Amino acid sequence: MTELAQNLIDALALGSLYALIALGVTLVYSVMDMMNFAHGEFIMLSAYALYVLAGAPFGIALGGALITGVLIALAAELVAFRPVRKADMSAQLVTSLAVATILQNAVMAAVDARPKSVATPTFVSETTTVGSLSVPNLEFVTLGLTAFVLVGLGWLLYRTRAGLAMRAAAENFDMARLLGVRADRVIALSFAISGALAAIVGVLIVMQTGQVSPTMGLTPVLVGFVAVTIGGFGRMLGAVIGGLFLGAASSLLGAYLPADLLPFRDAIVFSLPVAILIFKPRGLLGAATGEARV
Amino acid sequence: MSAVRLRSRPSLAVSVLAPLVLIALTVSVGASGTPSLRGTVTTILCEMIIVLGLQVFIGNSGVYSFGQLGFASAGAYAAALLTLPAAFVALQTPGLPNWIADAQLGTVGSTAVVAVACGALAAVVGLPLMRTSTLAIPISTFAFLVVSYNVIANWDRVTGGSGGLVSIPRTTGVVSAGLWAAAAVAVALAYKWSTRGYRLQATREDEIAARSLGIGVTGERLVAFALSGMLCGVGGALAVHQSGVLAPTTFYFVASVTTLTMMVAGGARSVFGAVLGTIAVASVNEVLRGVEGGGQILGLVSIGDTPGLAAIGVGLILLATMIALPNGLTGGREAGELPWLGRLLGRRRTADRAVPRVDPPIGGEKEGAVERAPAGEADALHATGVAVAFGGLRVLRGVDLTLRPGEALGLIGPNGAGKTTLVNVLSGFLRPDAGAVELDGVDVSGRSPSRLARAGLSRTFQGALPFPQLSCLESVAVGAMGVGVRRARAVAIAVDVLDRLGLSERASHPAGSLPPAEQRLLGVARALATRPRYLLLDEPAAGLTETEGEELVAILRGVLDGFGCGILLIEHEMSVVMSLCPGIQVLDDGVTLRIGAPAEIQADPSVIEAYLGRSYLEATNA
Repeated sequence: MTELAQNLIDALALGSLYALIALGVTLVYSVMDMMNFAHGEFIMLSAYALYVLAGAPFGIALGGALITGVLIALAAELVAFRPVRKADMSAQLVTSLAVATILQNAVMAAVDARPKSVATPTFVSETTTVGSLSVPNLEFVTLGLTAFVLVGLGWLLYRTRAGLAMRAAAENFDMARLLGVRADRVIALSFAISGALAAIVGVLIVMQTGQVSPTMGLTPVLVGFVAVTIGGFGRMLGAVIGGLFLGAASSLLGAYLPADLLPFRDAIVFSLPVAILIFKPRGLLGAATGEARV
Repeated sequence: MSAVRLRSRPSLAVSVLAPLVLIALTVSVGASGTPSLRGTVTTILCEMIIVLGLQVFIGNSGVYSFGQLGFASAGAYAAALLTLPAAFVALQTPGLPNWIADAQLGTVGSTAVVAVACGALAAVVGLPLMRTSTLAIPISTFAFLVVSYNVIANWDRVTGGSGGLVSIPRTTGVVSAGLWAAAAVAVALAYKWSTRGYRLQATREDEIAARSLGIGVTGERLVAFALSGMLCGVGGALAVHQSGVLAPTTFYFVASVTTLTMMVAGGARSVFGAVLGTIAVASVNEVLRGVEGGGQILGLVSIGDTPGLAAIGVGLILLATMIALPNGLTGGREAGELPWLGRLLGRRRTADRAVPRVDPPIGGEKEGAVERAPAGEADALHATGVAVAFGGLRVLRGVDLTLRPGEALGLIGPNGAGKTTLVNVLSGFLRPDAGAVELDGVDVSGRSPSRLARAGLSRTFQGALPFPQLSCLESVAVGAMGVGVRRARAVAIAVDVLDRLGLSERASHPAGSLPPAEQRLLGVARALATRPRYLLLDEPAAGLTETEGEELVAILRGVLDGFGCGILLIEHEMSVVMSLCPGIQVLDDGVTLRIGAPAEIQADPSVIEAYLGRSYLEATNA
């Protein structure tokens, strides 16, 4: 019983982390129909900010990571994604793959190809005992941050003018533009938020693993893509559900899979979505942008 | 009929020879160089086969797959295990079944086995993946890449795990790699110009229009996916017999991005582009790789030890291509279609050559795959009680319609009456909430558009939906190919249809270059090439001048006489409807207001009211 409860809390924590990744991916997708491969690199670069600022007070390092995530996202939008905004979805996807490749290998060239360890505050590696459960503090942090982000995003999207503009742009970009929504601003805003979410994820991953590496963004971006696909493209709620599902599946498989199958956990986790897509080709909630009307 | 071709002989010859000449040049550079250069060139030729594999699927379907290197990896491992000397097998992969461990195939034998195995693997993997959407395919194939990496890296007893395999026989030479690459070019071109290749290209150009011509999108994508997996597997197998070593990362993320960049830089739609792009990107890559360990670029810039430099270069090339040259170096054209190459060879632009006229080979003649029985009494397209609601908006509220072969029925009504919605239901693009559709006495409710097209029902669209990159001749021939006609006969049908519709002069022009009115006419030609018994036309005369409208009526009258199909004509241009259609059905607000002859319709007060409002009626009566 205790073990089950423990595993469920772990599953929820990993699911929350994955939901944060998926939200960052879907936010950009919903306003400009682009699946952003470079989101994993936004995560990776924010994590490297922690590495670079290792000597500084932790608060400053956190701020540095957040600023890095936002600035990199804005710069990528300005330099690489704005010129291909009119191109089709596939072309945008490939463009973001190019950006991801450049960023990843730039870090490899500038820092090192090997992982670097990063010291994290002792608080996050300790556990708190709740009843008969001992829960890692990092899981509380993850859950708390996810709740904060969900409430914050909800407030932004549904209670502010900027959020209204973003929702309008997500619904029908051209029409929103005709009605006076400033496209450049809405897209930049969604990239900035997406970059901030990436930074939060990057920090959480560093606190969990204690290290950074140039390729650390690859698995998260696949997680984000798959979560968004099974949730239904462009659906915020779908992204959260997809992320929770993937994280929970991964965590529970890790707990219950027989030892000789354990190395194949990722293979099983990423094969599951295909099973879902066979039965629901448009995702659990249905894609927000449907097929073109005849 | 042999005189009619989709491309002229010189253009065809240049398109086939140019990539082969490039490969021959590459081989001769390698063969005359140092052993190290020879090895590099051999590797590039193996990469080229993988890039050609990418082109077969991505170039023709327009859908990106990030998983094809998974097949290259699978092919490389299979080839290695099939050829590894027994002593090394026991050492590196103790879990390998004996029948594989004992197999001592040569390079050709193992590569042939790999080709079949990877083709089959891709077919099995593609079966579920191709059913998903155009955007889900890149993501699920990316997931496949990661899954295959994960399996290979952790299946230690069979694959040697993350340490990889060594001592694989190095049997691929520069000449044999060149020959395999040439064979891959032949396969890619043969597929691209085959009936199936054209069908897939049509889905790339416009998925909806392709479905209306009888093309099953999922099936065509699956064929190309399997063929692509086969080529990628062969490329991987040959590459591992060049390097002699193999690791799970050999064909993983970096290799995926590199081969993708090669294809995109050359121009994804072009086989020649795949060859050219591989050579161009590989050359840049080699220079950068040379300085990665510290060195100088052209003796000018000194660089320290910088891993990742080559990959940065590849990323920059990919980014620059996507922004500045999205169609790549070739513009997506084959060598024979390149104007500059034509000028270089002292020829006229092949695109300017009109297709030779032929005696109409079909007319009333009955032969080939589209043969259908003569019209019987029960033959009709028959809809009963069709109802459609979008949310709370009831667009159709129980409409009946009957269209017979050889007849023209006009469907008119004010904007929002539900005309296009009815055509969408009849052609299978929209499933009605209630009601049934019968085709020649058979209930076809819920059938897909492509199945209906193969059963003899075709349509056009208000938005023309051309296949911009295909020539007009190709566009129309695809219509016939979509319902299963062989290529040669499809071309003959297309020539005949273009001639009847007065579009022969345009045959070799890209469909996307036509003015809107002609694009709409081309849409009619495309639909006619499926040899339909029932043809649904959605506003073909929109935007035509009065004279052009009269010409269209004459053309459609010729269609009625020559093809014997029934025509349902939605049209706002009343002169066109009135002069062509002996019967007219008026829709208003989702119900049939009136069915009758043109004169009756024109005089009917309720019709006038529906169009112009009660006040107009009262004013004219007063």
